[in-house]
Amino acid sequence: MQSPPPVAGVATPKTAIKSKPLSERVVAYQIDARVDTRRKTIDATEVLTYHNLTGQPQDTFPFHLYLNAFQPTSTLMREIRRDRPQFEWQDKYRALAEVKSFEVAGIGDLTSQIRFVSPDDGNPEDRTVFQVKLPRPVAPGESVQFKIAFRDQLGVVFERTGYKRDFIMGAQWFPKVGVWWQGAWNCHQFHSTTEFFADFGTFDVRLTLPQNEVVGASGEETSSTNNPDGTKTVTFHGEDIHDFAWTAEPEFRIFSDTFSGSAGAVRIRLLMQPGHVDLAERHMRIMKETMKRFDEWYGPYPYKQITVVDPPHGGGLRAAGMEYPTLITGGTTWWMPKGWHLLEEVVEHEFGHQYWYGMVASNEFEDAWLDEGINSYTECKVLDDIYGKDRSALDLWGVARGDDAEQRATYLSAADKDPMARFAYQYLNSTSYGGITYGKTATVLLTLEKIIGEDTMRRALHTYFMRYRFTHPTKEDFLKTVEEVSGQNLRRYFDQAVYGTQVMDYEILRAASDRVEWYQKNPPQEKKNETLYRTTVLVHRKGEFVFPVDVLLKFDNGETVREHWDGRDRWVRYTYDKKAKLVSAELDPEHQVGLDKDFFNNSYVKEQQSGARRKLASYWLVFTQALGQLLAWLV
Amino acid sequence: MSHQPGILAEGARRVWRYQRVVWWLFAINYVLAAFATAPLSLRMGAVADHSLHSQRLVNGFDLSAFLELAAHPEVSLGSHFTDSFLFALIFFVFALFLTGGILEAYWGDRKLTTREFFQACGGFFWRWVRLLIFMLIVLTPIAILASRINKWSGTLSEDAPQEKLGFWIEVVGLLFVFFLLMAVRLWFDMAQIQVVAEDEGVVRRSLVRAFKLTIGNFGSLFWLYFRIGFLAWLALGVGILIWSQIPGEHARVSFLLFEVILLWWTGTRLWQRAGETVWYQQHIAETAVAPIRPEPVAMPVDSLPATTEQLEQQTFASGTTDGVIREKTPE
Repeated sequence: MQSPPPVAGVATPKTAIKSKPLSERVVAYQIDARVDTRRKTIDATEVLTYHNLTGQPQDTFPFHLYLNAFQPTSTLMREIRRDRPQFEWQDKYRALAEVKSFEVAGIGDLTSQIRFVSPDDGNPEDRTVFQVKLPRPVAPGESVQFKIAFRDQLGVVFERTGYKRDFIMGAQWFPKVGVWWQGAWNCHQFHSTTEFFADFGTFDVRLTLPQNEVVGASGEETSSTNNPDGTKTVTFHGEDIHDFAWTAEPEFRIFSDTFSGSAGAVRIRLLMQPGHVDLAERHMRIMKETMKRFDEWYGPYPYKQITVVDPPHGGGLRAAGMEYPTLITGGTTWWMPKGWHLLEEVVEHEFGHQYWYGMVASNEFEDAWLDEGINSYTECKVLDDIYGKDRSALDLWGVARGDDAEQRATYLSAADKDPMARFAYQYLNSTSYGGITYGKTATVLLTLEKIIGEDTMRRALHTYFMRYRFTHPTKEDFLKTVEEVSGQNLRRYFDQAVYGTQVMDYEILRAASDRVEWYQKNPPQEKKNETLYRTTVLVHRKGEFVFPVDVLLKFDNGETVREHWDGRDRWVRYTYDKKAKLVSAELDPEHQVGLDKDFFNNSYVKEQQSGARRKLASYWLVFTQALGQLLAWLV
Repeated sequence: MSHQPGILAEGARRVWRYQRVVWWLFAINYVLAAFATAPLSLRMGAVADHSLHSQRLVNGFDLSAFLELAAHPEVSLGSHFTDSFLFALIFFVFALFLTGGILEAYWGDRKLTTREFFQACGGFFWRWVRLLIFMLIVLTPIAILASRINKWSGTLSEDAPQEKLGFWIEVVGLLFVFFLLMAVRLWFDMAQIQVVAEDEGVVRRSLVRAFKLTIGNFGSLFWLYFRIGFLAWLALGVGILIWSQIPGEHARVSFLLFEVILLWWTGTRLWQRAGETVWYQQHIAETAVAPIRPEPVAMPVDSLPATTEQLEQQTFASGTTDGVIREKTPE
């Protein structure tokens, strides 16, 4: 099919199309939507022009209808209940996306041809994917235009979509075509642990809604016109993006600033809750700090705007911490103390997704670690750079925690449950998904720095970004890029860390110094720097993960010895004859191997260091006394 | 009440005079807590004592290192909550047992011999148990109320347009629950004093009398209880403020500070009991002499009757009829 005729009723948008597209634009969406903010419904017409760049004729097209996931019999709800038996369905979560009509330009009405399919689990009651078979195929290189009329009924915010009081988060709200990828259609159902995958293109969206609404959306606003009926029509244009989300709330307070990056000025637009106005400055600061580092380290942010949405409190926070192209949601509360960097962590993370998901658009269903994991790694790097390594997540009242430690802790919660290279919806449960996809990947990449160096790792990510932005790379694309940039064969590491479930745990099994002349019946008195000792240090690989480790030995004459072990055998013994006794033996003295599951057995100090035990025991004692006093109040 | 400053001072004097009780209670609690902590300390020692990583907990407080240690299979901090709770429960039973001796000493304002003290402890123990059961019954609706308030504030936090509304409902609700708890404690404190004063064997009667007495004199009694309680909380607040300034590596100083606070808490709780005892004695004296003394003169505390028997003797001596006392303290 060639040059489909323009579809009646769809106005040609006022756009500022760039002369050279950044992506291979497969899709062009034109959506005209009327939002009833009282009934929480959306009536819309979508015109989708699909360019068949698959290299073969296509007659079957799958579409996502994500909003139908918010129904009790959907696969999403089944999976949530499976993982959390205490979860109870509430009718307020119910949402619906209904296709009213489905026409194909030049062919006609194919509404009756719509078939719901469940490619992942065969659930006949899941209606998050439908497909339409055309009477004749679309030839390679040609385009086809779909005109879809649909109606959405939003539910209370659940899994980042819906409404809360006057707040509306319009995400995953329109029929979205699947991706032809690796020789097949890729159009997964909506699962509890998956996100999204779509083709790049252009979006021209007209939203008609009450005039008092403050609106934010992907792309840039191109016009806003007040209508006689008390509504206004706001139009947005986005290009080289693969999704379109919007939000509206009358109470939003707007803050704007500009970031000047290597690709030009970027407008940062904050939509804050009225009760969070005093937190706007923190949002703006972390945005600028993050954008600066991404620009310097990984590559330019080519869009002209980024919108940051602060969702409302309580149930509204179910829309928090989510990424959409050029629009992200943060998430905070009125009492967020400065030393707790959760606000910054969320905003940083979601902005990071503009790179790892937004531009480097890997398949979030199948390789979730490529976006969430890499993004968690860069989150650590950025926050560490801003706040300091061991206090980047928390630095409050003398209690500190680094973001890398947070990632490691989530990894350890599910260390051996799943490999990173697993489809997101096939993980054991949501804990394993979170622990492996976010925590393990970040820890694997931080540990990789020990082998290839921090600078090389940064260059590898820069190369990966520049090479694969506006495409859909695979895990091997990433792994090969790292190998290429580092000039090293890292297969052994990747096989265990990415494709395997082995857990790493090295320990100092034994470390002791003994007099060489131990057998003498009446040995001379020991003298420092004169008596000869035989020091033995035994390093043991407890876990199955094989990794090279360094061992640092310190002797009481000030001498230090550094050993390097490839870690392949189960253990290694180091023996020294010196006129000095061993003071300490430490594995990974630079603390770079976050994958090691137990840091406490990584070292041995001859002199007892009881400070930590005494401190914690004394607090526990006080706690128990206080508990006793509390109970005694009942006497 | 016009005598309240005197009551506070007299209560404090009695606590000071019989401070051995404070020290004993504190020491028993300490020893039991030490028993509860010992296994944990040993387990932590096995993991941390020869590890360089544990230094992160010595200087400052590395939350990650702490969580890793707490989750370590050889430490498993969570499992030690049971130990602590068990030993706290033992302390609770001890405290329940000692209450009879303590109140007897405060009531009589005299030093009891060890035999007398433990006789009183044993003599009143089962009555305290019965009172405790009644108290748990009374506390049940308060617990339900607290849970409802919590649920309500949670719903408001989730759904109310005002972000802070749920929080403030929680705060106000908690304050109200605290107030109810204090009122109930006050009531049962007075019941215990009455049991000791009258050597009442049927605790239900003491409960009823104490209820009337507490309701009838709620303002002065609550003010007495509240002020001492406030001093306890104030000390805790100041203590935490000081603790936040102590460098992380000075764990011993922090420990001593908390021990002082706990000692102060033990003392203030007994101060409340001693003060209530003095209040009760003054109240009986006032109500007993009221018919013949329209303008009662404050008695020196030392001359206050220590027992009902003494009180009756004093009343007869001043010409009061036996019936007056019975009317005020009906059997």
